[in-house]
Amino acid sequence: MKVSFRRIASLALVAACVAALAAAVAAARTTRSSADIKNGGTLTIGLAEEPDALDPTLARTFVGRIVFLAMCEKLYDLDSHLNIVPQLATALPQVSKDKLTYTIKVRSGVQFNDGTPFNAAAVKTTLERDLTLKGSVRASEISPISSVDAPNATTVVLHLKSPYSPLTAQLADRAGMILSPKALASGGTFAQNPVCVGPFMFKDRVAGDHITLVKSPYYYNKAKVHLASIVYRIMTDPSSRTQALRAGDIQVEDRIQSTDVPTLQKDSGVTVKKAVTIGYQGLTLNIGNKNGLLKPYANVGSDLAKSQYLRTAFDAALDRTTINRVVFGGLNQPDCYPIAPVSPWYEPTTKGLACDLHANVNLAKQLVKASGIANPSVNLMLGGTDPVTARLGQVIQSMENAVGIKVSVTPTQFTTALNKADAGTFDAFAVGWSGRVDPDGNIYGFVATPGTLNDSGFSSSKLDYILNGARKSLTIKSRTTLYRAAMQIIHRQRPLIYLYHPVNYYGVSKKVDGVQIYGDGLIRVNAAGYTK
Amino acid sequence: MGGFLLRKAGAALIVVFLSSIVVFIGIRALPGDPAVALGAENRDPAVMAAIRQSYGLDKPLPVQYVKWISKALRGDLGLDARQLPVGHTIITRLPITLELAFLAILVGTVIGVLAGVIAAVRRGKPSDHAATATALVGLSVPHFWLGLMMIIAFAVDLHWLPASGYVSFRAHPIGNLEHLLMPALVLGTGLSAVLMRQTRSAMLNSLSADYVRTARAKGLSEGVVIGKHALRNSLITVTTVIGLQLGALISGAVITEQIFVIPGFGRLTLDAVNERDYTLLQGVVLVAAAGYVVVNLLVDVAYSLLNPRIRVSGAAER
Repeated sequence: MKVSFRRIASLALVAACVAALAAAVAAARTTRSSADIKNGGTLTIGLAEEPDALDPTLARTFVGRIVFLAMCEKLYDLDSHLNIVPQLATALPQVSKDKLTYTIKVRSGVQFNDGTPFNAAAVKTTLERDLTLKGSVRASEISPISSVDAPNATTVVLHLKSPYSPLTAQLADRAGMILSPKALASGGTFAQNPVCVGPFMFKDRVAGDHITLVKSPYYYNKAKVHLASIVYRIMTDPSSRTQALRAGDIQVEDRIQSTDVPTLQKDSGVTVKKAVTIGYQGLTLNIGNKNGLLKPYANVGSDLAKSQYLRTAFDAALDRTTINRVVFGGLNQPDCYPIAPVSPWYEPTTKGLACDLHANVNLAKQLVKASGIANPSVNLMLGGTDPVTARLGQVIQSMENAVGIKVSVTPTQFTTALNKADAGTFDAFAVGWSGRVDPDGNIYGFVATPGTLNDSGFSSSKLDYILNGARKSLTIKSRTTLYRAAMQIIHRQRPLIYLYHPVNYYGVSKKVDGVQIYGDGLIRVNAAGYTK
Repeated sequence: MGGFLLRKAGAALIVVFLSSIVVFIGIRALPGDPAVALGAENRDPAVMAAIRQSYGLDKPLPVQYVKWISKALRGDLGLDARQLPVGHTIITRLPITLELAFLAILVGTVIGVLAGVIAAVRRGKPSDHAATATALVGLSVPHFWLGLMMIIAFAVDLHWLPASGYVSFRAHPIGNLEHLLMPALVLGTGLSAVLMRQTRSAMLNSLSADYVRTARAKGLSEGVVIGKHALRNSLITVTTVIGLQLGALISGAVITEQIFVIPGFGRLTLDAVNERDYTLLQGVVLVAAAGYVVVNLLVDVAYSLLNPRIRVSGAAER
């Protein structure tokens, strides 16, 4: 049969179109876009703890920040690489030459979730509240601010008493969350009905059960918001949280416990996301906290406090890789420093600094001998009574025993342990820190003489000079140099021994897309939604 | 009857007052500074001082007590660490635990009394041994384990029931029962075991009594003898046990509420202790103490209704 050229060409054209269409569909499947997420629906998130007051000025808990992310935008936010980016501000602050004046430009045409206009005056009201409200937890975070001006609707001017580099990072956290002046002036308790600028607005809360947010009709970027509502359920038991995710009761699980991670990784309906956090876990060694936190320091006279050799031996005996493998199933990130690899500060601050993740038993034994202390003993207080923490204590005990340091382990309820740490009634304390974006937040409070978290009682005028200098310096290069020097002193004197950075694991239902977790460990769902 | 009730109510009020003092002192005996717990990661001295001031912890104990109890008598139990009214939180969450406890009692009573009657009537037979063995297992199995196993089986694998949470009856009656079915079964299991043993023992006593022999001699059917005569007398003991167990049920609900993530009163108490939220803890424990007193009062009243001799003499006769 004769086939015309025209017929062949037509068939070829159709075949080419079909192939192109198939390729496009395949590409679309691998590259999800906002168009793949449908509008509507309620996302239920199982939180590991309960947030405290939903008032950014008074809030203290880590988990509260997860809820705030959805309903209270800040002057600045973080991108996925933990760089500070503008959010309600339009650019990073302009800093005067004397570093005492910060000029911040803010957005126009934005409303709070009660319809009140957002402007520079509202920023001024909030910052002044943060500085002056009785019980404000933010006051110490932005204490260098002496006054705030709002010369026009889109300009905020901060006047500082002294230069303070971490200020922008503080404004990228709760101190930078701007509250509706109308809600503040209403006379009620703000935490019972919080109003900010955000993609979602507060609807209701049942203590110990849930917090409900609904999509805000006032949000300036509401086209990017898909969900109709978010319910944060308080589910403190980790096993219940995991089973609820598997059963479909919740779509996002906050911080899966390490023993459940393998189970969820095999679950075909769940994606396990992980984030190396900016926090750390380690051991605080009591050197000079004899009279209590922030009281005049005096060497406590314990074996560890008396001898720098013994503290170095204590560190050298620890095999961080083995601790991670045996205690945490290999799920965390061993390290020797307080700044996490996920932080943009990590590489420039720690490159080339000594960090042996494996034990050096021979060195440890030599150092024990060099300390001159016969039969050294240490009481290790654990900040918790759960099985995982107990395992950590036992592994440390075993490692130290191998080099001749006798360790007795005392599991202690967390709040009681913090009290004892503040009172200085401990030798070594296994505790961590959730982490802050700016390195100052991970270092100053713990090792500077006036540091409010300096349970070690460590005091070094040289270290204080370096850390204060880092606070005043504005360039990244100079701050990096100073923090390197600080970490060398900390590593030599060992008021803290850093063991690892927690890696948090989160479970997300495969029916949901757009859930993001950054290194700060906070769950971001503002652009999330159910897949089509 | 009126005099009997007045005497009982007066004694209850005294007990509640003394409980408030014990609650107040007992909470402050908990180890750990509440300011540190409430401060979370922030131990700035100014923040610690503000926390202590807002909770009145910087005042002498008697001043703290008088301030608290005078507000409590006016119905104001204060604000908790979340800045939410404690009274409202308790009113919201207590009925959930009461509903759970009621369902657990229903489950436990139906299963326990039925099994106890069967075991007593068929004493020495295989069904008696089976009921006794089941009771032993029911008493021995930890609620925590049983709850998780049921969640894995019925929620995760079969998707028949929700794994966790609570929906109010008013909002969704069927959803409410679906959410509470597994927790009620878990909580009721232990109760049914206790009631089974108590019912069996009480029924055996009743079935060997003279009045039962007389009832049989009069030609009454076995069903009437067991159901109308023997069981009715046995229920006096069972009622007392249920009253005593109700307190244990409400306490035991803490674990069940934790596993099934039910926003009940038990979980609220546990969270308040862990967080050292003094205001919340005081309110919660005071309400619980008052609850116990009221329940015992109701049991006394029920007792007197079941046994008219108690109304007259004012004393229980066994």
